[in-house]
Amino acid sequence: MKFCIVKQMKKTHYFFSIVLALFQLQAIAQQRVFKDTLDGSSETVVVTANRSERKMGNVAVPVILIGKKTISQTGSLRIQDILQEQTGIVIVNSALGTSLNGYPNPFGQGVQMLGLDPAYTAILLDGEPLVGRNAGILKLGRLATGNIKQVEIVKGPSSSLYGSEAMAGVINILTDMPAKENIGFQLHHATNNTWGGTLSYANRIHKTGIQFFLNRLSTDGYDLDPTIYGKTVDPYRDWNGQLKITQELSNKLQLLVSLRNYDAKQDNNYQIFYQNLPAIASGYTTETDRSAFAQFKWLLSSNSKLYVRGFYDRYTNESFVNLDKTGLRFDETSFDQSVFKPEIQYEKNRPGKSQYVAGFGSNIEMIDASRYAGKQNLATVYGFTQKEWYLLSQKLTLIAGARIDKRTDFDLHLSPRLAMAYKPNAHWKFTASAGWGFKAPDFRHMYLNFYNAQIGYSLLGSATLGQELGKLQQQGLLQAGADISPYTNATGLKPETSFGMHLGAKYTSGKLVAEWGLFRNNISNLIDVYALPFTRTNSLPIYSYRNVGNVFTQGAEMDLSYQLTKQIRLSGGYQFLLAKDKQVLENIDNDLLYKRDPITLQSSLLTRQDYVGLANRSKHSLNAKVLYEEPTAGFDAYFRAVYRGAFGFMDKNGNNIIDNESELTPGYWMLNLAASKTIGSHLRVQIGAENLLDYTNPVQLSNIPGRTYFINLNLNIHQPTKHKLP
Amino acid sequence: MKNRFNFILILAIALVFTACQKDEATPVAVPAFSRTQTLTVNFSATKPFAFFGFKDSALVANTDSTTAKWDFGLRLTTFLVNSNASGPGKAGVILQDGIFANLNTAPTSGYAYDTTSTKLAIKDGSWYDYNSVSRSLVPKAGKVFFFRTADGAHYAKMQLLAVDYAPFTGPTPSQLLYKFQYTYQPNGSNSF
Repeated sequence: MKFCIVKQMKKTHYFFSIVLALFQLQAIAQQRVFKDTLDGSSETVVVTANRSERKMGNVAVPVILIGKKTISQTGSLRIQDILQEQTGIVIVNSALGTSLNGYPNPFGQGVQMLGLDPAYTAILLDGEPLVGRNAGILKLGRLATGNIKQVEIVKGPSSSLYGSEAMAGVINILTDMPAKENIGFQLHHATNNTWGGTLSYANRIHKTGIQFFLNRLSTDGYDLDPTIYGKTVDPYRDWNGQLKITQELSNKLQLLVSLRNYDAKQDNNYQIFYQNLPAIASGYTTETDRSAFAQFKWLLSSNSKLYVRGFYDRYTNESFVNLDKTGLRFDETSFDQSVFKPEIQYEKNRPGKSQYVAGFGSNIEMIDASRYAGKQNLATVYGFTQKEWYLLSQKLTLIAGARIDKRTDFDLHLSPRLAMAYKPNAHWKFTASAGWGFKAPDFRHMYLNFYNAQIGYSLLGSATLGQELGKLQQQGLLQAGADISPYTNATGLKPETSFGMHLGAKYTSGKLVAEWGLFRNNISNLIDVYALPFTRTNSLPIYSYRNVGNVFTQGAEMDLSYQLTKQIRLSGGYQFLLAKDKQVLENIDNDLLYKRDPITLQSSLLTRQDYVGLANRSKHSLNAKVLYEEPTAGFDAYFRAVYRGAFGFMDKNGNNIIDNESELTPGYWMLNLAASKTIGSHLRVQIGAENLLDYTNPVQLSNIPGRTYFINLNLNIHQPTKHKLP
Repeated sequence: MKNRFNFILILAIALVFTACQKDEATPVAVPAFSRTQTLTVNFSATKPFAFFGFKDSALVANTDSTTAKWDFGLRLTTFLVNSNASGPGKAGVILQDGIFANLNTAPTSGYAYDTTSTKLAIKDGSWYDYNSVSRSLVPKAGKVFFFRTADGAHYAKMQLLAVDYAPFTGPTPSQLLYKFQYTYQPNGSNSF
């Protein structure tokens, strides 16, 4: 092995210094990311905003950056905990099933950005989309935090670069790249018998770079309501592994291969009713998420690059419960989704003048799930292009871009974006951006075939509706005389679309960084559930999906960061948000909507003042953070307070609208604290507590455990110079 | 001049109306009465309906299901009016948006009937929302039911206030409690 590499080195020694220089540049870029991210240092490099590397200070769309150091200072092992500490990012439960009778919400939690549901934010890992969304939500617990290099959050419609799902924005989780030799171990222990272990190894030997990461996490879960049989969150264990290899094939060609494996197993244990008698059912859920990524990066010239990449991801989820007494299989579900995504991307840089990026590719998706009608495929081809000009001695940046997507089942879709940034001097930056976003109807909207055995209703995807209604009618399960003819040849769903605008200003002066933003998003053709005009024979409804909704979200955000002393930095952020349904406003104006007084039970007309807005949205959310750092003593402490204001939970007064205090979940604070101390040159000890106020809400927010404590032991062994070549 | 003309017109209309009422209504001096009651309804698609008669403000026994003693019937969320396919009565219903206290005149025409067992006057889902999260039935606010009663000669207005589950153990409730408010006009007039 060693000989072989030496041979190669000789062959290409002429170019080697260039390649090395490139690597060093990259390493410097990474170092800078680690050095500081919160103060928005203009040196930090981000990739998500433009699909190619840019200095943070030059980006014209709103971007939040979370660096490795910040992640490690919070001590958190859950990416959602880190995300929710960012201004304008709220972790919300699926609107579909907020905890049923004390069981955890089966649909999980996701990211709400700009007031849009989790289904409208694209979640990328190293730039590639993850699959396996359940009711629109991608379980973020799948991602370990130990190997995250940087999280980039782009707010606002980003379909011009990322296509479907990027209506609210993009969260790109970038993992460590092969770097100088480093071996790391981490041991994590927390409340609820939670144990975590991490092993990481990185090295770069001549032209080969390697990065390996392995993490195991297990917990006993927790129980918020002891009066109900079973735990709120059942015990689980997760394995997470990633292997990245980079290889310099020539001085102009670099290969990156990345393999990832996630494997999780969680107990299922709850009480059901079997033949009208209570019975205990138990089993488990297994989840796997495996992806492979290969990319050739070809330096065509000093200013142009070509990427050829292929990505494959497969997510499976199998779940069952058996009756404890008899061992009889009570329930069983399976879900298997995969995506294959080949892509070519070209970049051209004219330093100081312009940058250009373009690409094309395709998305081939497959799904086979017990709740879906058969095995289904969807294919999309797409192309995107974006140009960025630097004008007025680089004070002005203009960006124009667009993407087209053509999926087999609907017409060509165009998503443009325009953005600009103006920097009149070293202190101020003004940005404006406008973009169109879209979200294609997903598998569930089209192929779901779900019958709720416990309650008795049906939910059918629009593409299977006609066929399934025919079957139900044949089996005599439809209400007699039901006229299914309007549904047998129903036209398909259209993509949901959005148009978003953002205006921003940023002021940087020495110790102070202040940022303001205003945003507005109009969303049309929202896909929503509706009940068919006839029922099943049990008189319970049949639901399907249709394009009906037109909503808007608008608001303002502010971020401040101030270096109080050398050791102390204060920061905070606030978001004001309004999210409303335009049809509801129109109906209110036309005196078509009523409310029922919760006490007198009498109805009266609804007014605009009564209407709070869409469920699950908080009008006010804020965060405040204090970071204390004493680098010479190797000590840091990080305190964060996050407030989520009151938000609509569900209608109670007979109008399907959130308009009454009793329909709101009161606001709450999450206070988190972590402190770490470096001992010697290798060991770092961190202790912390999350949810210091011990806030819980078993029914509406079952995802929040009470107060938890944790301890992390980190061992890092660097050998920075061993393999360094001339 | 114009005002005076309007005044005369109003006066004339009022006279015509009072005249009509005098002709049609039986001259009984019983005022319209308003009540709030709770009806226990089977949570089942097969068990018997609960029948209600406005005149006696009471549940009507199932043995009287083929008489005109009841005006409407309920089972789970299926709503019957005593007419055609559902019973021998002449009951009709109009579901109208509005505020119960302000709607004081029942329409004299436009009533819907249970033409067939699958084409009922009150469509399922037209007056409630089912919340799959809380598994509750929430009557829509601002819905007023106008009835012409089973005898075809009286009017009532009704609104649903709440639908709750009767206390139950087991996986599914067995009974629903429909709380409703109504005004019945015993004198045959359509105004309450």
